[in-house]
Amino acid sequence: MPSDTRQKVMRHIDIVGQLQPALHQPQHAPLPTEVDNAHYRAYMRTSHDVGGEPDVTIQWHEKEEEQWELNTYVTCECLAWRGVWNAEERRRRQNVDLGQTQYLGLPYYGRWLLSAARIMVDKQHITLTELMNKIEEVKNRHE
Amino acid sequence: MSRGHHAEKATGKGDPQCFKGEASAPKFKVGDRVRIRDLPDIFYTRCQVYTRGAEGVVTVVTHESPAPEDEAWDNVDKPEWFYIVRFKQKELWPEYPDVYENDTLQTEFSERWLESA
Repeated sequence: MPSDTRQKVMRHIDIVGQLQPALHQPQHAPLPTEVDNAHYRAYMRTSHDVGGEPDVTIQWHEKEEEQWELNTYVTCECLAWRGVWNAEERRRRQNVDLGQTQYLGLPYYGRWLLSAARIMVDKQHITLTELMNKIEEVKNRHE
Repeated sequence: MSRGHHAEKATGKGDPQCFKGEASAPKFKVGDRVRIRDLPDIFYTRCQVYTRGAEGVVTVVTHESPAPEDEAWDNVDKPEWFYIVRFKQKELWPEYPDVYENDTLQTEFSERWLESA
């Protein structure tokens, strides 16, 4: 195990602790009776439905697509071609199922890639064990 | 159904064209005033929350397709009509400036989200 693993773990825990909660009010681990209908609706909202919400200004970045992004797109289209998902299931998975924190925090094609990996596991085309081992193998190749 | 059924169905036709003729007669026509229903928000939809309860006018009866709430789980056997609805921006956003009162916004809904206004 690399000597800096513990350091990475501690940094991860620190960053996770800084992620914004979905509701910007003290609401950590509420009692069931504290979640009223309005709050329940807020929690159930699909994370891509952001129209009209107050937010900070986001800077527009003009950006060429990178090779890994194009590869990701083609991979997702191949999954559709082979009947693993349709475009709407793909959108559900990459815009909603991954949750608000990942939806707002990860790059666009990062979400495509994650949803492609996820559906391969969900629909039992590969096992999570196989995926973990492959990621670890590739990671080691680059270290 | 075979594993590639969606791609097979759309080959040579396109999607949503491949669902043409599968929905029952459209309930609304161009010019109809409609209100967006406030159905439960649960798991998935493409009906924007800011349109719920707002009234607008049908501008286009667009196409037939399974609703996103169905298609997102590969339930594609009940296509319905889709409509483009035009809203006054003032209707959607209470604080929209009066000076731009003619501004409008158009967006798309499957039939289940509409009721006569």
